[in-house]
Amino acid sequence: MSAASLLRTVCTTGRPAICLLGAIVLFAAIAAPSQAFAHAALVTTEPTDGTVLEQSPAQLSLTFSEPVSPLVLTLVRPDGTAIPLTSFRLNGQTVEIDNPQALGSGTHVLSWRVISADGHPVGGSVLFSIGAPSAAPAVSEAVDRGLRSAIWIGKVFLYVGLFLGVGGAFAIAWLAQGGRSGQRFVIAAILCGLVAAPLSLGFQGLDALGVPFARLAQPGVWQAGLGTSFGWTVLVALVALGLGLLSLVGPRGGAKLFALAGLAGVGAALAASGHASAAEPQWLTRPMVFLHGSGIALWAGALAPLGLAMRRKPVEAAPFLRRFSQAILPVVAVLATTGIMLAVVQVQAPAALLETAYGRLLLVKLALLFFLFTVAATNRWKLTGPAEAGETEAQRRLFRSIGIEMLIVLAIFGVAAGWRFTPPPRALAIAAAQPASVHIHTPKAMADLSITPGHVGPVAASIVIMTGDFGPLDANQVTLVLSKPDSGIEPIKRAATKRDDGTWRIDGLVIPVPGRWAARLDILVSDFEIVKIEAPIDIRR
Amino acid sequence: MNSYLLSAGAFFVLGTSAAFAHITLEAREAAVGSTYKAVLRVPHGCEGKATTAVRVQIPEGVISVKPMPKAGWTLQVKNGRYEKSYQLHGQEVSSGVKEVNWSGGSLPDEFYDEFVFRGTLAADLPAGQTLYFPVVQECDSAAERWIEIPAAGQDEDALEYPAPGLKLSPKQ
Repeated sequence: MSAASLLRTVCTTGRPAICLLGAIVLFAAIAAPSQAFAHAALVTTEPTDGTVLEQSPAQLSLTFSEPVSPLVLTLVRPDGTAIPLTSFRLNGQTVEIDNPQALGSGTHVLSWRVISADGHPVGGSVLFSIGAPSAAPAVSEAVDRGLRSAIWIGKVFLYVGLFLGVGGAFAIAWLAQGGRSGQRFVIAAILCGLVAAPLSLGFQGLDALGVPFARLAQPGVWQAGLGTSFGWTVLVALVALGLGLLSLVGPRGGAKLFALAGLAGVGAALAASGHASAAEPQWLTRPMVFLHGSGIALWAGALAPLGLAMRRKPVEAAPFLRRFSQAILPVVAVLATTGIMLAVVQVQAPAALLETAYGRLLLVKLALLFFLFTVAATNRWKLTGPAEAGETEAQRRLFRSIGIEMLIVLAIFGVAAGWRFTPPPRALAIAAAQPASVHIHTPKAMADLSITPGHVGPVAASIVIMTGDFGPLDANQVTLVLSKPDSGIEPIKRAATKRDDGTWRIDGLVIPVPGRWAARLDILVSDFEIVKIEAPIDIRR
Repeated sequence: MNSYLLSAGAFFVLGTSAAFAHITLEAREAAVGSTYKAVLRVPHGCEGKATTAVRVQIPEGVISVKPMPKAGWTLQVKNGRYEKSYQLHGQEVSSGVKEVNWSGGSLPDEFYDEFVFRGTLAADLPAGQTLYFPVVQECDSAAERWIEIPAAGQDEDALEYPAPGLKLSPKQ
């Protein structure tokens, strides 16, 4: 979907104001960072990336930083033909995959796509060769920008439906109390959400399977979308949107009840998926997301009906305004408290605010919030009193000011939807803390070397040694030699100390540069016998 | 004068510094079936520290080993069984010295010394191959282990601490 056609859609379905908002939102879309990061990080693979095997492996395995569900596993042969890998087992954080057939010689690509607990799919490829490397078959793992935009737009419209639509219905039922101003706007927003919710599910399915737009009509895509935690968000959101609509057009007696249930549904829908809901501790984060989401709906939803009421029926609007200004302070307090707590859980270290895409989006959101609070405070303490008293000038200014608030709120929705593509620093920290490991097997000796964390900086190395036939190996001394000939760094040589549990350990090691290092273990088996085994190990940035 | 200094410096830098630094055997080649006098040359201590002990492991096929005593050093041998028995002057020999140990001395880093033993290279050793004599050089709270044996096809110069090697030539 191109930007222009999207704008056209918005402009034909909405009013000129919404058309303008659409343009702003699109501008935000262009400005928002959309770099992809892994959410569940791949820790090790068997065979490891780049290895040359002598014969076809019976089994392949992928180990991640957290439990995952595989969506698509494919083995691409050297001639480019793909074998779908359907027989696999989950063993903790490891996906064990049966190799369905003996592989010929040449370079193969194991292409994987999995979904992690936060409901966001990630993918990648592992190359290995049998016999000798050949030219790697072409596998596209490019970011589909069109799909990303569609997911983002779907999300923004879902927010519009939930916050402005269901939230608006709540404001009309509880705060306006009989006033019907803004009802058409709210119904339009709910319809917007009712269209966006299922479409978002389809987009999620496309993203989950990593397939192009053309396959949107396939049932498998929708099943995949439903299978993710985002499926729950969409189902609950549809119920909430339905309840919101019912409170507006249904029987008058049930309007308040429906609107309240709808508002709770908004919170529940948001708590069902996403980064914040996937964070630990769950007993804290999920209720926080619920309260945060319901609070946004309460505040943002009231803006349009209130502004429109002020414009058209100033007399009716006065009690509406009074009730809103009474309710809003505790709501903002809840919003700020839950927002700060979630931000602390997600960002962890202040430095991550600038260093990660997630943190930068949060800063943009905070800046927008600052403007929003300034405008809201002006409304609350300068304009509300005179407007309630019936001053037309104050009412006019309040209407305009509420319009500006709405614009900022929409921009915040755009930023929040951008988080869909940025893992929070919390997840990045978990991924970064994963060790880099290598298994070295020679006829004389074998070893498991892991460097924790597996990235540059201060690390600790842990080594388990065995004889070539898996027997115990009692060494006099074990020395780790790390070298990186292509970087001009002299080998780093450290003697390991033996722990009570039989492992060898080196603390206080510092790895200066990322990339592929040659790790050598000098195992002094006896006074006069040394065994040196070597393997490459990848150190992350 | 300057060019003389330069060339002398170049010789020093480019010269076979590896040969200077390692513990090596004086005679690098001997015929199988002959008597061999091994002279272990110790050019320096361990990272500046004085050498206090030199231990050498006798490889299989070197029989009837007798080390030469050294003033100021305690000489010990470890005896053991050979992997098989050998014929020596019509007699069957199946055990003997497996390790020689000079200890208790002090050879400062700035001095040079030699440690000597004699043995017979069994007649059935494969000519053309290299025998390695792994040496552990001990200093005060440090040790250098000249025990690395090149793998098949590996260049000996690539090793950090190569064991002294003896090339076996055909029986004369």
